[in-house]
Amino acid sequence: MTRYEHDDSGVVVIIGSGAGGGTLAHELARRGVEVVLLEAGKHLTAEDFVNDEWAGYEMLTWLDKRTASGTWRAAKDHPTSPSWSCQVVGGTSVHWSACCYRFAEHELRARTVYGDIPGTTLIDWPLTLAELEPYYDLAETKMGVTRTNGLPPLPPNNNFKVMHAGAKALGLTVSTGRHAINSIPYDGRPATMQDGFTITGDKVGSRWSTLNVEIPRGLATGKLELRPQARAVRIEHDDGGKASAVVYVDAQGVTHRQKARAVVLAGNCVESSRLLLHSASARFPQGLANGWGHVGRHYLRHVVQTVWSIFDKPVNMHRGELMAGLVTDYLPHDPGRGFAGGYLIEMNSMGLPTTAAFLDPGWWGRDFVSVIEQYRNMAGIFMTGEDMPQAGNRVTLTDELDAFGVPVANIHYDDHPNDLRMRNHGYKALTAIHKAAGAKRCVEAPAYPASHNIGSNRMAANAEDGVLDGNGRAWEVPNLFIADGSGFATGGACNPTLTIVALAIRQAEFMAGEMAAGAL
Amino acid sequence: MSEPVRPAIAHRDPKLPPLPDVPEGPDWAGGLKVFDAPMATALLAVTRTLYPHQGLREQIYRRVIARFDAAAAASPVVAQGFAAFVDGVNGAMPLPFAELSEGFREQVLKRLEGTAAFTLVQRLTVRFLYDDVEVWEAFGYEGAAVHLGGYVTRGFDDLDWLPTPQPGDY
Repeated sequence: MTRYEHDDSGVVVIIGSGAGGGTLAHELARRGVEVVLLEAGKHLTAEDFVNDEWAGYEMLTWLDKRTASGTWRAAKDHPTSPSWSCQVVGGTSVHWSACCYRFAEHELRARTVYGDIPGTTLIDWPLTLAELEPYYDLAETKMGVTRTNGLPPLPPNNNFKVMHAGAKALGLTVSTGRHAINSIPYDGRPATMQDGFTITGDKVGSRWSTLNVEIPRGLATGKLELRPQARAVRIEHDDGGKASAVVYVDAQGVTHRQKARAVVLAGNCVESSRLLLHSASARFPQGLANGWGHVGRHYLRHVVQTVWSIFDKPVNMHRGELMAGLVTDYLPHDPGRGFAGGYLIEMNSMGLPTTAAFLDPGWWGRDFVSVIEQYRNMAGIFMTGEDMPQAGNRVTLTDELDAFGVPVANIHYDDHPNDLRMRNHGYKALTAIHKAAGAKRCVEAPAYPASHNIGSNRMAANAEDGVLDGNGRAWEVPNLFIADGSGFATGGACNPTLTIVALAIRQAEFMAGEMAAGAL
Repeated sequence: MSEPVRPAIAHRDPKLPPLPDVPEGPDWAGGLKVFDAPMATALLAVTRTLYPHQGLREQIYRRVIARFDAAAAASPVVAQGFAAFVDGVNGAMPLPFAELSEGFREQVLKRLEGTAAFTLVQRLTVRFLYDDVEVWEAFGYEGAAVHLGGYVTRGFDDLDWLPTPQPGDY
């Protein structure tokens, strides 16, 4: 592997190797840009992964403490882990649903389309769907998304048959959806064997991740150096206010300072905002790139929830791909429903260990027992919808320091009335689908720890409205970029990864162009 | 009316260490590292009251206690939480918790709901009880699959009581 010196100030330093950082690293490296990729987690391989829900979770998850406040259920159910992401080479792309949907056109113009909703900080994106579409095309090709480029859809499994029957009975539009999981061999990777663990540290390689696609290809260019177990703790800047180095701690606990031509944060919402806030200086007293006070604010996590239903006969929902189902009828913005924005309905399956844990944390007694004993006959259905940005929903630093001397993050989130109206509408829609397929009991499960982490370093058309411009570049620090979901201007409804990848490809093109022009 | 249910055959990932081996018989708690027998007995009664599955044998709940014990051995904070919890449930009535009737046990636990110690014990019970291959088999979860070739030829689409969606319709 290529190695760069710590005092080599010609390299781009990327913090985080997930969907955003791992993709950007490859896309820059293949354009000849010299890149150092810092990843806090270990470099694991398919051989290391296990087909086990809890062991996989514990192997891959970012387990460092966080705190939570606000009215969201996660603050009560998961007070020290309200948000979920991974700490491993490949980041959260090692443990994600692989659902790949595009933003709808109206979602990128949320403020214009939804209007002035009290209590929200809605803005329009500084880019349009037309500008994003070519990069969605590139992302889908790179990721091998089903139902694009002639790739067949994932086949219907047991859980989908339930969802399909119910949705059809109600006249809804239902399919197995689009996934970065191979339905047939593609790009040197095999088709899924329907093992049910593709999304939990994939041992087969049928699912795209930066671990098994982008990072190896980036390394093969000879321009990329990957440093696993390198925990970034601070970003430094020079006298001119440009990012100049990243301070990180290696596996032996030794602190290093890697000089940089440009710095990219891609550590998922909480870590990227935390690092910016922690990198305060005399010149940036509120935190790096935080002159307008937006760093950490407008945090979004989607209106996410599941209904688990019991049927008279076996479903065996754990067999096969876990989220291969989609209903799109509720995605359009329809004020007649009583709320702004829309949601996607997706299939959801879990094994017994996590179904029991997330059915309703805190629930015990004979009623719980009577439900979970019927796991065999259980089906799951899920929604992800657009939540409203609010200035007070934010990542902040607490007084408690972690093992690296960086303040532990608090995540505050209050549900907006629009979120609650959508949540209510969604529970009824999910239940109706399962009832139409013959469900005898439906259980409304709350959201689990936030996995769609979005918006806390948002892009905006004007510096006073956000942290980043439309290329993901900090308004106040011209060689500082963000390549994760924290840069989204608003949340949209869909799972964020495809958009993170599309934006990273676009950002790589922009950065390489600026470098070639001598402007970066 | 439900069909007769055939027990599932479940698999734990072969790379993982086996579940704790707890002895049969009355002296099962003797090999625990942190808990003494009265402590183990109280916690056993608690787990059976929280999640009273009639069809699961006591040995499964004993394995939960063995995993509690391992967690307590690994963390003094967790050990302290278990000790505080057992003090709470044993001190709530004029009799030790394990000797209470089911109704009284439920009353005691309801009073403790919301305390940090209750949350610790309740969450860890869920964490370990439903992470046991014998429970998986009882409730129909088959577990690890990749070492068996996945479910692609083992029933991923064998549900036959609803129509199978046809190509072009999904």
